Amino acid sequence: MKSNGMEFKVPIGPQHPALKEPISLRMTFEGEIIKDADLRLGYNHRGIEKLAEQKTYIQNLYLTERICGICSHSHTTCFTQGVEKLMGIEPARRGLYIRTLVAELERVHSHLLWLGVAGHEAGFDSFFMYTWRDREVVMDILEIISGNRVHYAMNTFGGVRRDIDEQQKKKILDSLDLLKERTEYYFNMGATEPTFVARIAGVGRLPKEKAIELCAVGPTLRASDIPRDVRRDDPYAVYGEIPFEVCTADTCDVLGRVVVRVKELMQCYIMIEYLLKNLPPGEIKAKAPRRVKEGEVVSRYEAPRGENIHYIKSNGTDKPERLKVRAPTLANYPATIEMLKNGFIADIPLIFAAIDPCICCAERIISLVDAKTGKEKIVTMAELRKFSIEFYKKNPRKKEVIWPL
Amino acid sequence: MKEEAIVSKIKEYLKDKVIEITNPAPRRIFLKVTKENLVEAVRFLKDKFNFTHISTISGVDLGENFEILYHLANEYVVLSVRIITPRDEPKIPSICEVIPGAILYEREIQDMFGIVVENIPDPRPLVLSDDWPEGVHPLRKDWKFERPMEKIPGGE
Repeated sequence: MKSNGMEFKVPIGPQHPALKEPISLRMTFEGEIIKDADLRLGYNHRGIEKLAEQKTYIQNLYLTERICGICSHSHTTCFTQGVEKLMGIEPARRGLYIRTLVAELERVHSHLLWLGVAGHEAGFDSFFMYTWRDREVVMDILEIISGNRVHYAMNTFGGVRRDIDEQQKKKILDSLDLLKERTEYYFNMGATEPTFVARIAGVGRLPKEKAIELCAVGPTLRASDIPRDVRRDDPYAVYGEIPFEVCTADTCDVLGRVVVRVKELMQCYIMIEYLLKNLPPGEIKAKAPRRVKEGEVVSRYEAPRGENIHYIKSNGTDKPERLKVRAPTLANYPATIEMLKNGFIADIPLIFAAIDPCICCAERIISLVDAKTGKEKIVTMAELRKFSIEFYKKNPRKKEVIWPL
Repeated sequence: MKEEAIVSKIKEYLKDKVIEITNPAPRRIFLKVTKENLVEAVRFLKDKFNFTHISTISGVDLGENFEILYHLANEYVVLSVRIITPRDEPKIPSICEVIPGAILYEREIQDMFGIVVENIPDPRPLVLSDDWPEGVHPLRKDWKFERPMEKIPGGE
């Protein structure tokens, strides 16, 4: 296909009805086909890494919680377990079980939310309404445990802040039955319902070798048939002792990403049940010092969206020397560009939603991508305004134009 | 153990290019090389031990120098390759030819620390807002944020 003069560049975002959070995409189209895509983030950059250097470890615990709303527990757990290693303390076992329990409940709510969004982007709104109704069950469980629906504030150095009693345990186990039943129904619907499958199969292909090359993470990577999961490869908390399987799919498309996430939901229920039934007695928290010894640590965590990594360097005071955060969405951007290429305009929201982008996570640092382009010029608003004024000066205004009809 | 095997193999193959190699915790290895040997070391690690995944690149401002850590991961281990670059001449080589997924993190380092990544496939500055002043790099320790005085129109 020739592209002489037939290419169109279309900006999508930062504010766009198809995107739930602000991100700026610049697409190059040839007809209906996406030829190239470029991303520009930094629209709501918050400078959290710099801020963390000025806060104490306890303050940072709550700061990292606010990196993301949906995977708030992921960031604190990642930070907490890193700092615990630097402090040289052994967290309480019951605390670790509760921490893992909240992590899995969070994964359930995040995946159910994502399933709804995928259904919505594919034009299957009843699916969206069903999953979001069931998500309320998990939100209620989280509220029972932590008192909050979003920022659970469960973690503290050495364990967790709230215990679980027998009554709560029973309530959670009862709700799980309903969730299991519903998830099986979604699995059948998501993987066999012909109209839905026809919409998502073959969309946003990410071949196996590309997924490795571009360092994709989480369900996006596993849907390209690469069984990598931090919970298994680098077990933290109590993942070394609880039963679960790493779920993969080999279709490398949006269908695969739906299948992986629904299978993971089923694994989550198994884990939650195991954690509750084997909850060890004892303290929920070990005593932690206020100051942290000099050192450095790399802490990894499998967030609902994929591998989350924190690098913490301490200098012997009560404040970290450096906290580096890399949220999973940022790692998935180069792969997203690959998925978008040669797709249709109508598939953009679906492909983009399929990595489960959490833009607020990715934006605590920065921006952007595509290694091979570089054609696009970034124009500031002022330049654009000047250009538009110039342009209209040279061109006849509407009322002066003689219309052909 | 897996880590010990990797550590001894690295020592055996990279010989005097290894400045320091430690294994402070299970599944964590820290390897220090000079920046000239970085690309070769990363390529060796990728081919030999399947370190195909780069988790992120962290920069630390040490005052006189910058320390850059490349957090590579395979199925068993996270290996952090550490290099040092002087503040007066902050230049590091790009590893995108070996691991293309590193592009984002290198661009992030460029903007946040003002370190020049040589041979980077896409050197556009991007991190910060478009009107960010040149030569200002927020994650350097000497950069402090001062909130501009709030002026209320018509107020005191």
